[in-house]
Amino acid sequence: MALTDADLVARVLLDDDHHAFAELVRNHQSSVRGLLRQLVRADVSLADDLAQETFLRAYKNLRSFRGEARFSTWLYRIAYNCFREEARKRKELVGIDEAQLEAQHDPQTTDPALRQDLAHALQLLPLHERTAVLLCCQNGLSHDEAARVLEIPLGTVKTNVLRGREKLKRTLAAWGPN
Amino acid sequence: MDENLQEDWLDARLRDEAVYVDDGGFTANVVRKLPARRMRHSLRAVILLKRTVVASIIAYLLSGGGWFIAEEVTRFALLPLPVIWLCAAGATVLVMVGGLAAVIFKTGARLR
Repeated sequence: MALTDADLVARVLLDDDHHAFAELVRNHQSSVRGLLRQLVRADVSLADDLAQETFLRAYKNLRSFRGEARFSTWLYRIAYNCFREEARKRKELVGIDEAQLEAQHDPQTTDPALRQDLAHALQLLPLHERTAVLLCCQNGLSHDEAARVLEIPLGTVKTNVLRGREKLKRTLAAWGPN
Repeated sequence: MDENLQEDWLDARLRDEAVYVDDGGFTANVVRKLPARRMRHSLRAVILLKRTVVASIIAYLLSGGGWFIAEEVTRFALLPLPVIWLCAAGATVLVMVGGLAAVIFKTGARLR
């Protein structure tokens, strides 16, 4: 039987069980790395460095995880803070490594041209709208959870998601259902 | 109706974009960078106890059966009563200060 996040966290806290923490990393690495890749708009290795920093911070501060929110929500919050710190350091993050991102995608799932247009449309959104759309529409967080991750009011999250979606719909109108 | 269709379509496309990122050694890298494992409290206590017992046995053997202990106890018992009281009070203060320092150190470490 697979252990829940709560079980694994308890094992890490009680016995400093590195295997349990590795299981947590394995379970969440894809979503955290995916989110950071979408946020940084830079090379994939930078996103992975930030993801690594996210998990190391999570390990260090695991005692502060009270289990009130989902473990993934707590991780997204740390990841977003890592991203903000990096962005502040760099001021401006440049150019997405399209070739590397392309290699991560399964060419069978979506039309490559549509995928490219969607990725481009997402990159055109202002950071606050892009982050809100990615968290809520792509990673399945509720508005309330996204508000906790981004540390902004619930109403602001709803507005950002709504505006972001409107812009995406306009940009991708040609691809939409007839 | 069209509006709803458009919303569903957009959500589906966004979810499609969230493809699985292959681990590719990422987890192993993170685990490698974790700090060394903390020793369990129970294990630490057993190790300390074992060391104390071994050190006591070595000291007993090296001191010729511990004859000096009996000699010192006798000498101590012959001291004037106020000196014995003073020694007892001094030992008590020493233990209290040690305990207090340990508590302050532990609390400070937890707050950090």
